[in-house]
Amino acid sequence: MSTATTYALYLVFALGGAGVYFMLPRTGRSRVLSGAVLASLAVFALLAVLAFGVIDPAHGSGYFYLFAVIALLGAGRVITHPKPTYSALYFVLVAVAVAALLVLQGAEFLAVALVIIYAGAILITYAFVIMLAQQSGSPIYDRQSREPFIAVFAGFVLMAAIAGRAGELPLAGETVDAALTAPAALAAQTESPANQQDDSAQEGADESNSLRMGVIIMVNYVVVVQIAGVLLLIAMIGAIALSRKKVPSDGPRAADVPLGEIGRKVKPY
Amino acid sequence: MWDFLTSQFGFSIALAAFIMLGVILPSVAYCIYFERKISAWIQDRKGPNRVGPLGLLQPVADGAKFFLKEDFIPGHVDKPLFLAAPAIIFIVSLVGFAAIPWGGQWQIGDKLLEVQVARPDIGLLYIIGVASMAVYGVVVGGWASNNKFAFFGAIRATAQMISYEIPMGLCILVVVLTMGTLRLETITSLQAGGEYWIGFIPQWNVFLHPLAFVVLFITALAEANRMPFDLAEAEQELVGGYHVEYSALKFGMFFLAEYAHMITGSAFIAVLFLGGWHFPYLPWTQPEATGFFAVMCKMAVIGGKIVAMLFVMMWIRWTIPRFRFDQLMRLAWLRLIPMMLAMFVLAVLLLYFRLHRSALAPAGNLLILGATLWIAARSTAPITGRQLNMPEIRNEPTQTGAMPAEAV
Repeated sequence: MSTATTYALYLVFALGGAGVYFMLPRTGRSRVLSGAVLASLAVFALLAVLAFGVIDPAHGSGYFYLFAVIALLGAGRVITHPKPTYSALYFVLVAVAVAALLVLQGAEFLAVALVIIYAGAILITYAFVIMLAQQSGSPIYDRQSREPFIAVFAGFVLMAAIAGRAGELPLAGETVDAALTAPAALAAQTESPANQQDDSAQEGADESNSLRMGVIIMVNYVVVVQIAGVLLLIAMIGAIALSRKKVPSDGPRAADVPLGEIGRKVKPY
Repeated sequence: MWDFLTSQFGFSIALAAFIMLGVILPSVAYCIYFERKISAWIQDRKGPNRVGPLGLLQPVADGAKFFLKEDFIPGHVDKPLFLAAPAIIFIVSLVGFAAIPWGGQWQIGDKLLEVQVARPDIGLLYIIGVASMAVYGVVVGGWASNNKFAFFGAIRATAQMISYEIPMGLCILVVVLTMGTLRLETITSLQAGGEYWIGFIPQWNVFLHPLAFVVLFITALAEANRMPFDLAEAEQELVGGYHVEYSALKFGMFFLAEYAHMITGSAFIAVLFLGGWHFPYLPWTQPEATGFFAVMCKMAVIGGKIVAMLFVMMWIRWTIPRFRFDQLMRLAWLRLIPMMLAMFVLAVLLLYFRLHRSALAPAGNLLILGATLWIAARSTAPITGRQLNMPEIRNEPTQTGAMPAEAV
């Protein structure tokens, strides 16, 4: 990736940042339309830069651009939509579009895990809580952003920092990390009944995607996975401990009240 | 054209179109007919018998009615999401069919085609992922209706679907551990091949892990919001639940999606536990048979298994009453999940000692079932607030003599 491409990316991010800044929900005169125009310009400029400067044309497919546009516009709407319920649903759209991008890269297991864990479990809980908590309209702090300029600035500086490093990443079509190829060789040696069975059914892929993934997780990164699991467990216990409040029962307990009183002076439950 | 159709890609497209338009949509419509007929048999009635011979044209009349009714959108709804919800639930209930292996391999000329629309490496996970998206149709529909009854239906459906996904996932993990693969076609062919146990039992997973099969069937009922798990649309309490504001074809979408969901669930269970297209001793349904007649036989066999499971689902619907919400949650979290965790440990242990295809598997299943029933019989139901006060309210039937004079 050339230096010119990197600067073009910076320019695109500045454009997108301005668009998102205008689109963020706020009080006063709405500038959503101009923001939307700027942001869509930025998305298409980004895709143009990617198409001509970063991605080898032989490897970029139409589907990549389709799902990339869906993911980017959806992500923009997640932070700019004034209704929290819509934001959560746009987040689902982003998760599904990113899963499609992962499928295009051949990472089917990651894609389906993303859909099951994010779209199927986490985001449905978000949507659940948002809908349950805000039946009578959302409060003022959900309908407008508090520090739009600082938030947008920080976010897009972060994006630019990632883009600056992107020049060091391998391009599509180049050989991937050696760490990914080593377990593949190991996986090929592992004799599993499933692996032997499906070589007649396979067309292109020479080994099972999930098998490779499992070997990477359980051989290369097993300690990391264990630590992450323990951390999540601790976080869950902490959340339960924090959210459990001891409610003192005031007033006469129903069992202490003489017969016949319940339902008249004392609530039955 | 012929070359394109006999390539795997073209064949997959043709198969998808055939399955979707030729099999699923008519069978979804006729599911409603059979539901009504079966309910009539169970309740000693005749059922629909006026439209066409034996009432066979009733689904056509129902479909026409869906089109001709007024398509009313109430003024208080959130319009974009209100319109999106039926589409979401219908699309999600149909895309799951893509990974089901319908008929093994088909030899056309010198080409060997897979009778399966898509053969992803993670076919099993794909179906779980699609199934987990189904709840969005219900939630979005219930929320966008801006109606308390619809909203309660959506809340109930969400809690139920999230809860029952866990035992479902554990059942599927038991199968994955036993089979060693996530490919649905490999799972089918592993069950179809090999010797018969004790001379006549095919190597289907249902004979290895009968308990996992039963629990998966229960969770499939819950995922499809079927009786006894249809609290989301309980007529007596919620009028109609999450689709109470929908009319005409949009209501029809919700209605048909429920049946499409049942068919997907049944096909999935048939592939995982009942050997898919395999039928013992029938030479055309063995993995080696690849002719046209063999493929038709295999599709008929898997179709028959799906119809049998649909019948059991309808039978249950017209026999068993609906759960109360706390009973529903207790069943999932205090009974099914611990039981399936024990099953999971059993499957891991059997796999570790390389006994996962031995008679120890069904024996362990029975042991876990017995232990669960033993513990369940000895544990009392948690006392809710209402129950705590039951002996003290006035018309408690067990204490008729103890009623105070002032209360009479």
